[in-house]
Amino acid sequence: MADKGTDPVQMWHSFLADMEKQVNSFSNQAMQSEEFSRVMGQMTGASAGAKKAFGDFMERYLAAMNLPSRSELIDLGERLHHIEGRLNDIMSLLQRVHTDVASADGTGGAPRPPRTKRPPSQAGGPP
Amino acid sequence: MTAAAQQKKPEPSIQDRIQQEVQRAIQRSVKGVEYFASAAPVVGTTAKDVLHSRGTMKLYHYRPLADEIYRVPILIVMATTNRGYVLDMVPGQSLIEFLLKRGFDIYMLDWTAPRPEERGLKFEDYVLDFIPDCVRRVQQDSGETDVSVIGYCFGGVLSLLYASTHADGPLKNLVCFTTPIDFRQMKLFQNFSDRRYFDVDRLVDSIGNVPPEMIFQSFEMLRPASRSIGQIQLWENMWNDEFVKSYRIFDRWAQDTLPLAGEYFRQTTKDLMWDNKLYERTMTVGGRRADISRIKVPILHAVAEHDHIVPYDAAKPLIATVGSDDKEEVILKGGHISLVAGPNAIKRLWPKLDSWLSERST
Repeated sequence: MADKGTDPVQMWHSFLADMEKQVNSFSNQAMQSEEFSRVMGQMTGASAGAKKAFGDFMERYLAAMNLPSRSELIDLGERLHHIEGRLNDIMSLLQRVHTDVASADGTGGAPRPPRTKRPPSQAGGPP
Repeated sequence: MTAAAQQKKPEPSIQDRIQQEVQRAIQRSVKGVEYFASAAPVVGTTAKDVLHSRGTMKLYHYRPLADEIYRVPILIVMATTNRGYVLDMVPGQSLIEFLLKRGFDIYMLDWTAPRPEERGLKFEDYVLDFIPDCVRRVQQDSGETDVSVIGYCFGGVLSLLYASTHADGPLKNLVCFTTPIDFRQMKLFQNFSDRRYFDVDRLVDSIGNVPPEMIFQSFEMLRPASRSIGQIQLWENMWNDEFVKSYRIFDRWAQDTLPLAGEYFRQTTKDLMWDNKLYERTMTVGGRRADISRIKVPILHAVAEHDHIVPYDAAKPLIATVGSDDKEEVILKGGHISLVAGPNAIKRLWPKLDSWLSERST
């Protein structure tokens, strides 16, 4: 009979669980050091700096190639965003008008359930 | 099987265990191929309508699943870092579906990735524009003046800021899931954003919106071994369809991290991580005081015992600080995600939420 103490599968699972806890705990301790904060701050700064320098280079390159840059596409996106916003407003307005008309002539969509539900403590029935 | 019968069940012999492991090894190989060949599981399938969409903001209304519903509608405010379908994974594992079947009228304010031109979004936009706009639309759609709000994680922070800047209504009840207040207690995030070394201005000015990989990595770093161990466990359980399905939906959600608007990230770092303004009660949004002691509505705060993202110490002062008479904190077993989704949530949080809200939604 394979009891839990000698079952190799169980032992493997226990080992994995312990290892996960220990590695997480050890790493968390290491991450609480000031040295870690300093290195992480430097890395984040360096990565952001590199990204910006690359972005600037690409912008000059695209301008030389007579292609739109990212910022120009963003401007275009912003204009589309505004158009989308106005379309949404029109949609909302149309929906409101449609709801008003439908409720006035009784042809509205599927009726919603009544808002009359009581909590089980007040309803008296089973929850 | 009864508990007595389970107790009597004999331990399998070594031969049986070997045979079982060989069978599982074969199944692993077969199903492993299926795993890589099959599409990701479909999530967020509860029927819903998009009520409004504007940039990063999306307001859904879920179609009722009960014949009679409670008077007060509920607006769920999702965390800005992740997708709302964590609350609507698959049928049977969906908090939304559960609440609908229990007779609640559910709306959700969910987020899409902010676009580059939305890098300037700030707390003011979320707290004084997006949430009030959604509340107004919920009122309009439901025909009710009162609205209850549920905020998950940072959605809880935004809900608290909304509630404290709109203390005169129309909020009826507030529920927060794992919501941090004392950001000094988020020790690892504090270290990641140490003001002596972390130049948030340089980061935001250089890259605009903070990319999702950076957000995802910072969450992953809190438990660096867990992903690798999780993959070993996935391989071991490849024979178990239920395990694989559950792993895939949660893994998909965890990796589906959203970028954060640059200015919003800058404010979060400076006002919350560095100056701890929410806890110190010095927070202002758009010139309006956002002191959570001004919140007087009934409030429930559900926190997880083993939350590695929002440690209990960071969430604990919420209930002590709000000004409500009707306030309750529940500490439940589980972690940051298992508190709201999965078998643990079905057993613990969901029934508690149902009973708390039902008494306050008429």
